[in-house]
Amino acid sequence: MKCEEIAVLLPDYLREVLQGDQKKVVERHLESCVECSEVAGLWKQLALIPDEQPSPAGRARFDAMLQAYQAGQGSEVVTRRADKGASIWSVFQWLRSPVGAVAWSIALVALGTYMGLQLGSAKSNSQDLAAMHTELTSMRQMVALSMLQQQSASQRLEGVTWTRREEHLDPQVLSALMHTLRYDQSVDVRLAALDALSRHAGQPQVKKTVVDALQEQQSPLMQVALIDQLVEWRDAEAAPGLKKLRQLPNLNPTVRQRADWAISKLN
Amino acid sequence: MLQVRDGAGETLGVLFERYHAPLYNFYAKLTGDRALSEDLVQEVFLRILRHRQTFRDGTPFRAWIYQIARNARIDHFRKSRPQVPFEPEMAPAVTPGDPAQQQQESELLHRAMMELPEEKRELLVLCRFQELPYEDVARLVGCGVATVKVRIHRAMQELRQIFHQLQAAPANSTQRAAAQSFPPRRMT
Repeated sequence: MKCEEIAVLLPDYLREVLQGDQKKVVERHLESCVECSEVAGLWKQLALIPDEQPSPAGRARFDAMLQAYQAGQGSEVVTRRADKGASIWSVFQWLRSPVGAVAWSIALVALGTYMGLQLGSAKSNSQDLAAMHTELTSMRQMVALSMLQQQSASQRLEGVTWTRREEHLDPQVLSALMHTLRYDQSVDVRLAALDALSRHAGQPQVKKTVVDALQEQQSPLMQVALIDQLVEWRDAEAAPGLKKLRQLPNLNPTVRQRADWAISKLN
Repeated sequence: MLQVRDGAGETLGVLFERYHAPLYNFYAKLTGDRALSEDLVQEVFLRILRHRQTFRDGTPFRAWIYQIARNARIDHFRKSRPQVPFEPEMAPAVTPGDPAQQQQESELLHRAMMELPEEKRELLVLCRFQELPYEDVARLVGCGVATVKVRIHRAMQELRQIFHQLQAAPANSTQRAAAQSFPPRRMT
């Protein structure tokens, strides 16, 4: 049998799922064909290439992303519930009757004509502006996300600055910002991320990330900034975290003093 | 996955535990870039959340998740061309008791893999390392099962040729690896 014909059988043979006559055919071919025999040997040798292990930070990133996404979903659910509340308007069911529909249609056409005459050009302009604004927001967030992933610290810093331009952040950007706060190599970038996140205290996962970061950060500068932020938010739930921090044996004395001050403020 | 689709976001954590290492390896072996592989894995899970409603009962989940993974990678390279496709330190690590020749061969094999055209490398990664059934791979790449098998054979033949070339000129290949000059050929 030629190599071209064996090509369809060889992958199954290599996975050891080939049986009976077909297996014998391949084995006979491999005995006579050096090239295919080497291919079979190489397939086995590929097992020598070991698997890579993903970094443990991947799980933390995933959790932050999931929390941010669920927070975003939560606000959508609230909106949907508000829509359900509107069902009290069902008392106007009669408007669904044919007579009601005709009356509505006439009223709406009249209203539409009047509004169109009054506001025609202005309305289309405002729609265009709204669409442009949405597009611009999305573009800014994309730029921020991309810059937060750059190698250079100054570019990541600029990425953090971009996130400050938006009042509401996309869950993915928020997640990237929280990841930057916890794991960025540069203290400057982490401090900037904290500053940017301080505007999003309404998101529950942001406060949790800041409290978690308190236990993880080694830089006294960063620790003091986190403590100050928690005091500014008056986050009473942070008190246990602060107590845990101040008990660390090799904690900087200034940080310990700051933590004591924060605990007294929060209690 | 059905629970994730129906809104149980927490269940996604279970899927993450199960699939993030295989997906990371899929990307790492395909791109040779650890940081990018980590980012793409996160992107896959974000896409699962966003598009979970498109999952249909009865669909093989592994095939579905790898479809998302392939799309995420294609979209990424559509936006930016790969710049650091191979990290030399990603070559197989020294393991105690590993004979020197065997280790050298596995390094060469790894480099040969990175020199394969991208679509062939992807096929081998899916079939050999991820051990996806040929039927799933055929669905993923959009061809018949027999075609997948023929393509695997061709990819292995090309790998064999590159491997022999690297064996013949190990000094050159080491220099090239040091210079990180293994750009994967673009998909045709």
